[in-house]
Amino acid sequence: MSAKTFAIEVIVASSFYFAASILTFEILMPVQDVFFPDFQSSASLLFLPHGVRVLTAWLLGWRSIIALLPGVFLIFYYLAGDNVFTISRLLAIGVAVCTTPIVFGLAAKLGFETRPKPNEDPCWPCVMGLGVVAGIISGSLTNIAFGGHPLEYLAFFIGDVFGLFFLMLGTMLFFRAMRHRQR
Amino acid sequence: MTDISKLAELRKLMLGMERSIGLEELSAVERDVYYAATDLAQQTTGVRTTGLLSHALMQDVSRPTFFRALKSLVTKGYLSQSATSRRGVYVVNPPAN
Repeated sequence: MSAKTFAIEVIVASSFYFAASILTFEILMPVQDVFFPDFQSSASLLFLPHGVRVLTAWLLGWRSIIALLPGVFLIFYYLAGDNVFTISRLLAIGVAVCTTPIVFGLAAKLGFETRPKPNEDPCWPCVMGLGVVAGIISGSLTNIAFGGHPLEYLAFFIGDVFGLFFLMLGTMLFFRAMRHRQR
Repeated sequence: MTDISKLAELRKLMLGMERSIGLEELSAVERDVYYAATDLAQQTTGVRTTGLLSHALMQDVSRPTFFRALKSLVTKGYLSQSATSRRGVYVVNPPAN
């Protein structure tokens, strides 16, 4: 793989992660606060960046760790400023970029290969299933890193699952709309 | 895997999702021709009709059925005639086109 191709992967994956995060934190979470005023939590119930993590890990495998790292770091910096360098946040960054490719890698080692292959129809429920597993693990680890309440863990998990599903649904509808526009 | 083929793989994944939720708009043969084109596009920039015809997925497809499916895929925007090559060469459309 050329350096240029790798640089494109990093820019594209990180840009999508950053954009999905901004959409989540600046638009979806204020809406969430309106509809669930009693739910005081830092967790989004529709965390779209998890969908970006899953699709990137599915497409790029281990390279997704490096591809997503700038985007994940930037969004943590955007939210926390110089406090991004605290141990808990650095751990959370590590969890955010590493968990999903590890889940896909381990699943492949155990004989459950879902990553793209020529001549094979990709299995979207399998990708989503592994994304849910990654959501459970990353939600737990993120909660441990931040020392939150168990309810926070549940909120992280719900946010990851809904975020993954709606990001995939949105991507599907986007591709569909593009096809219709080309006619 | 090239950038275009990554988009194609993502598109294949989403086509599977469309199929599952009942929004599919491709016949079985059209889908096989499209998948064959996606595979061949990983090796070259343009996909030749002859290459598609000899693809493993096309073994049980008659020539008239193949050409009907190919024409339909072009009409539906999944494939387009290559602008830089002669006739018989197709490009798998990336979603961002």
